[in-house]
Amino acid sequence: MQTSELLQSYLVDANTWDEMYKDASVREQYKKAVEFLQQLSIEELNKKEELAKKLFMSQGITFTVYSSGEGIEKIFPFDIIPRIITSSEWDYIEKGIRQRLKALNLFLKDIYSNQFILKDGIIPTEMIYSCPHYLREMYNFPVPYDIYVHISGIDLIRNSDGTFYILEDNLRTPSGVSYMLENREITKRIFPDLLPNNAVRSVTEYPNILYRNLVSLSPRQIKNPTIVLLTPGIYNSAYFEHTTLARLMGVELVQGSDLVVDDHKVYMKTTTGLQQVDVIYRRVDDEFLDPLVFNPGSMLGVAGIMSAYRKGNVAIVNALGNGVADDKAIYTFVPAMIRYYLNEEPILKNVPTYHLDRPEEREHVFNNIESMVIKKTNESGGYGMLMGSAASSEEIIKYKGEVLQNPREFIAQPIISLSSSPCYMNGKLQPRRVDLRPYALFGPDGIEIVPGGLTRVALREGSLVVNSSQGGGSKDTWVLG
Amino acid sequence: MLSRVADSLFWMSRYVERADGILRMLKINYASSQDDVQEFSWRPVLKIFTYLEDDKIAMLQHNTRGVLIYMVTDKENPNSVLNIVTQARENARSVQDHITKEMWQCLNDFYHTVRDEKLAPLLLKEDPITILDILIKQGLVYVGTTDVTMARGEGNSFINIGKFLERAIQTTDILDVKFSVLNARDIDAPSDTTYWKYMLLSISGYELYLRTYRGGFEAKNVVEQIVLSEDFPRSVIYSVNQLHRYFERLRGDRNNAAFDHLNFIIGKLKSRIKFSTPVSIMHEGLHQYLYETRAGLVEIGNTLTKNYFS
Repeated sequence: MQTSELLQSYLVDANTWDEMYKDASVREQYKKAVEFLQQLSIEELNKKEELAKKLFMSQGITFTVYSSGEGIEKIFPFDIIPRIITSSEWDYIEKGIRQRLKALNLFLKDIYSNQFILKDGIIPTEMIYSCPHYLREMYNFPVPYDIYVHISGIDLIRNSDGTFYILEDNLRTPSGVSYMLENREITKRIFPDLLPNNAVRSVTEYPNILYRNLVSLSPRQIKNPTIVLLTPGIYNSAYFEHTTLARLMGVELVQGSDLVVDDHKVYMKTTTGLQQVDVIYRRVDDEFLDPLVFNPGSMLGVAGIMSAYRKGNVAIVNALGNGVADDKAIYTFVPAMIRYYLNEEPILKNVPTYHLDRPEEREHVFNNIESMVIKKTNESGGYGMLMGSAASSEEIIKYKGEVLQNPREFIAQPIISLSSSPCYMNGKLQPRRVDLRPYALFGPDGIEIVPGGLTRVALREGSLVVNSSQGGGSKDTWVLG
Repeated sequence: MLSRVADSLFWMSRYVERADGILRMLKINYASSQDDVQEFSWRPVLKIFTYLEDDKIAMLQHNTRGVLIYMVTDKENPNSVLNIVTQARENARSVQDHITKEMWQCLNDFYHTVRDEKLAPLLLKEDPITILDILIKQGLVYVGTTDVTMARGEGNSFINIGKFLERAIQTTDILDVKFSVLNARDIDAPSDTTYWKYMLLSISGYELYLRTYRGGFEAKNVVEQIVLSEDFPRSVIYSVNQLHRYFERLRGDRNNAAFDHLNFIIGKLKSRIKFSTPVSIMHEGLHQYLYETRAGLVEIGNTLTKNYFS
C-alpha cells in the first residue's frame, strides 16, 4: 500500500504494540478503513472532525464545568479514527471477561456469607476487613439470583507484545457506556457506509439487554414493574449518560429527593400520588445511598432505602459493597480466586502488582521507582497516583513518606506501555496510547457482553494516562464480524 | 409522572414562552423606535420585563442598543433572553427522558445560539431585527417540534399549561403597562395610531384588529381583542381556555381532590373573563380588572405547584 501524506509522520514507538501497524505495514483489520481515509483530503477530514464536534455540542453530549459562577459546556474529546478489534481478539477478550466476572461475583457472594476463601487461607482476612468498601451491612443478606455485579466495565490494556492485561475491575457504578453508544452514532454520521462495508458488529442492543435484566430482578412479580435510574442530579459530570440510558430504556430518571421510603417500601412522588418502585439502577455511590446507614450528610440518597433493600422489597443494581472486589489490593488475588472458585487457569492476565505493606516488595518498588507506577487502592480516575518515570525527586520523596504512613493503601505496578492506535491530529495520523473498557451485563440468564466498548485515548503525545479527568479522550470501538 | 418532572416541564415551557414574548416585544419596539418623531422611550418594556429601579430605567430608556444588550445578552439581568433560555434548557436537561430528543436538541441549539459571544457585538452594530428574528425562529422551531413530536400525555398537558399560563400573564402585563403609560395622555386620541399599531404588532394582533374593526383605533376595541377575543391566540380568554382544556386532561382516578380544587379556581377565573364586556371592564377600571385577572392567574400557578409539583 502507498504511504500517503496521511500516514507519513506515523512513527510507532519501538517498544509499543500498535493497533494499526505491524512492521511498517497496515494490519489486515485496518486496511479497508485506511484505504477509505486515504481517499479523503485533509480539508474533508477536517470537516468531518468539525461535524463530529458540532454533533456532540448540539445533542448536548457535554459536561458542564462550573467556574466563576457560570457553567461552561465541554465535550469529551472524540477522535474520529475508530479503534478496530478483530473477531478472534474479541472472542478471547469475551471469554476472559466472562471467566473473571464469574469468579468475582462468586467472591462477593462468598465474602458476604460463608467466607470460605478466607477460611481456606487464599486471601488474608485482614485484607478484607481493612478495606473501607467492605460493608458489614451486606453480610448474610442474600441478593436476588446471587448476582452482585449486574454491570461492570473491566479495563484492559495491551503490552508491547500485544498481550491483553486486566488493568482494573470496575464493579461499582462504571460509567462511559453512553459514549460507546454515542461514538458509534457519530461514526454513522461522519463516515456514511463505512460501518456496513467493514461488517462492524452492532452495539445497540446494550440498553435492551440491561432493561430485560432489570425487569427480571423485580421483587413483585407484576406485568410492568416500576424501574428507575437514580442519578445524583444534573450537576454530576455523568448526567448526560444517566439521561441517555433512562431514555433508551424508557425508565424513569429519578433523584434522591423524588423517592421516599414507607414501611420498608420505596415510592416515587408523582403528580397522582406515591407509586411503588421495584428496581433501582443507581448511579449514586454506596456511601451516599442511605443517610441513615452510611454518610448522614448525604442529600443524594434516600433515607431508609437500605432497610427496604434488605427486606427484599426493592432490587438495587449494582449491589452494595462491591468495592471490596475491585479494590486495587484485592485485585492481585483475582487469579487465585479464578483457580479457587472455578478450578480454571485465568485467561486474561493481571498486571504484576506489588503490595506496599509487604516490606520486601516495598523495598523492591522503592529501588526501581523510575519504572513503577504507584496507586492508591481506593482511588480511581487517575487521581492520587505517582508515575515514577515522570515524577521529580521531591515528588518521589514526598510520596514515599505518604506510602510509609499507610502502606495498605498503596500498590505499585511496573509501568506498562499501553498499545497505540492512530488518531487524527493536525491533518495527519499519529499514534496515541489507548485502553479498552468493554461492558458486561450479568442477569439471571447469564453474562452478556455487547461487542465493543469504550476505547479511551491519551491525547497528549507520549502520555500513558487515558482518564478523562487527565486529558484523555475516546474513540469509537469496532469489533469486526 | 414524577412531580419534579411535571414541575420542570411546566417551567421549561413557561421560560420558552417568556423568551418568545420578550423577543417579539423587542423587535417591534425597535421598529417603532425607528418610526418615532419624538424620542422613543423603552420605559414600558423595561417596566414589564425587568426588575430595574425607576432611576435605572430613566438612565437606560433612550439608549436603544443598551436596552437590547441588557434584555438579550446581559448575564446580570435575570430576565435577559440569555438567562431565560438557559433556565428553559436547564429544566429540559433534567427531564430529557420525558421530552423528545428533537425538542431537547432545539432547546440546546437555542441555548448555544443565544450564548454565542458574537451576538452582543452584532446587536450593537448590525441590524437588530435580523438578530432578533434568528432568535425568534429558534423558539418557533421548538414550538413546532413540540407539536409534531411530543406524545399527547400528561407531560404534554403540563407543557401547554405552562405555556398558556405564561402567555396570559404576559398579555395582561403588556396591556396594563401600555395603558398606564397612556393615562397621562388622552386614551381615545384617534390620532395616536402608531402607538396602538406597534403594541398590536408586538403581540401579532395588528392584522386581526384591522380586519375586525377597520375604522381606526379605539381603546375599547383594543381591550376587547386583547382580553376577550376567543379567536386571537394571545388574548387572555384564549390562553385561559387553552389552559383549562389541557388541565382537564389531567383528570384521573387518583388525586381527585387536588384536581377538583384547581378546576374550580380555573373555572371561576374563566367565567369572570367570559362574562365581561369592554364596557363593563372600562366601568370597573381597566387596571383594577387586569390586576384581579393577574392575581387569579398567579393563584392557578401557586395551586399547581402545591397540588402537583411537590
